[in-house]
Amino acid sequence: MTQIEIGRLLRAGTTGFIAGCRVDQLEAPAFGALVRAPLSESYQVYGLIHDIHIDDDGLVRQLVTADNVAEEVMKDNRERRIVPVELSVLVVGYEQDGKIHHQLPPRPPLSLDVIYLCDAAQLVRFTSAGRFGYFRHILQNQDIPAGELLAAHIQQAAAAHGAQGLKWTEAAAAELITLMRDDYPKLMSVLSALGDLSPE
Amino acid sequence: MPVDYQQIHHKIKEIGAGARQRRQTLDGRRKKARELLNQYAADLDSLRLKVDAAKLADPNLRCALPVNEPLDSHHPAPESVAEATLIAADGSQVNPDRHAAVLYSLINIGAIVWRTGLGSSPQVFTYVDLAYGDELYTDTGMISEDLVALGRDLSERKKILELALRYPEPVITLTDGPIELWGAEGSSQEAYRRNREIHLSILSQLQSRNVTVAGYVDKPAADLVVRLLEISRIPDNEMKDVRRTHGLRNVTDRWLFGEEGNPLLQKGERSAIFVIQSSSRNHYEGDREIRFFYLNVGNNKHPWIARVEIPAWVAENRLYVNTLHSSLLQQCAILELKPYPYVLARAHEIAVVKFDDKKQVELLLQLELGNNGEEIGVASPKQTIKGLQGRTRM
Repeated sequence: MTQIEIGRLLRAGTTGFIAGCRVDQLEAPAFGALVRAPLSESYQVYGLIHDIHIDDDGLVRQLVTADNVAEEVMKDNRERRIVPVELSVLVVGYEQDGKIHHQLPPRPPLSLDVIYLCDAAQLVRFTSAGRFGYFRHILQNQDIPAGELLAAHIQQAAAAHGAQGLKWTEAAAAELITLMRDDYPKLMSVLSALGDLSPE
Repeated sequence: MPVDYQQIHHKIKEIGAGARQRRQTLDGRRKKARELLNQYAADLDSLRLKVDAAKLADPNLRCALPVNEPLDSHHPAPESVAEATLIAADGSQVNPDRHAAVLYSLINIGAIVWRTGLGSSPQVFTYVDLAYGDELYTDTGMISEDLVALGRDLSERKKILELALRYPEPVITLTDGPIELWGAEGSSQEAYRRNREIHLSILSQLQSRNVTVAGYVDKPAADLVVRLLEISRIPDNEMKDVRRTHGLRNVTDRWLFGEEGNPLLQKGERSAIFVIQSSSRNHYEGDREIRFFYLNVGNNKHPWIARVEIPAWVAENRLYVNTLHSSLLQQCAILELKPYPYVLARAHEIAVVKFDDKKQVELLLQLELGNNGEEIGVASPKQTIKGLQGRTRM
């Protein structure tokens, strides 16, 4: 199994964590991607990337005002400098002793723990466990773009499910309608985002 | 307690009231400096005789000494360099602090290698030296801040040499500040002498590899050419008072070469090359004699004058000087609003030891010492109290 390392943990709480990564690692993680932080052989925390943040600094602020930025400077800043790229991850579940749970984990990952991108098989395994219990973590969080995050996640998960993707998507949409039946505006926002998904 | 602003209010008013008078005085001195520059522009022999006479009266005399170009020379930017390797190094240090819980010193060197014309990512290098226990003591007591700084400067130069030998010609090395090592006072003199010998050996090795060595002084404060002009006015029979004679005080070399709106050095131009007359000429001699030129890395409207120090073997090779001149302009253009060589900015960024780094090193040392049963000190009450966070709001 290929493991794609996308960064290391900077800080964490029970409901979310922030990972830092190098710019040359930035091609792998995407908004809505499922990631995992293994704490031991039998315990790992799962999360969805809901924000990718690139901070500026004094030198970058000077460089952006220049007429031309030399190729060497671009590469230096992207490959050599400590560019603070931060991935914000919403915790959506955990795995213990081979069983996936869609509840919040008993303890968060620790500083410098390696964060991996979940491959298609892992994504299928996580999204097939239970009945979409992890959706509530997304819907209850007021600080994230829930509709866009769900749309991105569902698109990636449907692709991972392959031939079963459409069936899985319909089940996911049905579950969302049930969960948001009392919040019509938000439901419309989520369905609108889902409706914008381009067919694969 | 904050500053008692009422107490200094009167003094600040006094300073403000004297502004007009000071401005008039400065304008008069600037006018005189300009006249002297024009008067002596080509009269280099008489200036050299004046400096010789002044040296007899003051062996520590520090000023510019003309070589063979008129004082008001200005050389336009040469053609851009197609391929060259720039190596910049900078260092920072943590001095031993007797108030801290652990006594140690640390030198951190950052270096960057930039290969012009290849379009490749620059390479970065670090070197760190942590000193603890007996390493912190000399024959005469605990290592001083001056000695740590001296060690830092020498480590920069060693790193430069190590890297310079790895790359094909042309290689340009840059450090921030003057080329020569600055000596420490008193008990450190012997260490300074030893380190200077090593530095001189490094320079010779760099020369043998045809390396262009340079020190970049941003916003130079030493007004070496203005001092030369001051000396030019002193009659021979008054030369004994040269140390006290400063007829052009507050006129700066930066103004002389980079007057705002009317710079002697136009955008990208360099000045004539001068020798730095100082007591260190006794040690940095021959091919390693320290020379310098001024360079306008800004523009005509807002000139920005830097002093570039080079050894004699570089100064006497027009190709080396042109390659350096052009490379510095290319580097400064990268950070054009705050013109400063990009590689030096990066070397500093790599080298700098921030407060958090210092605390982390201290913590790691404490943990390791504790784990191995060594007695660990505690921070002094003075340091602890100074470290308390003050109120940020009234």
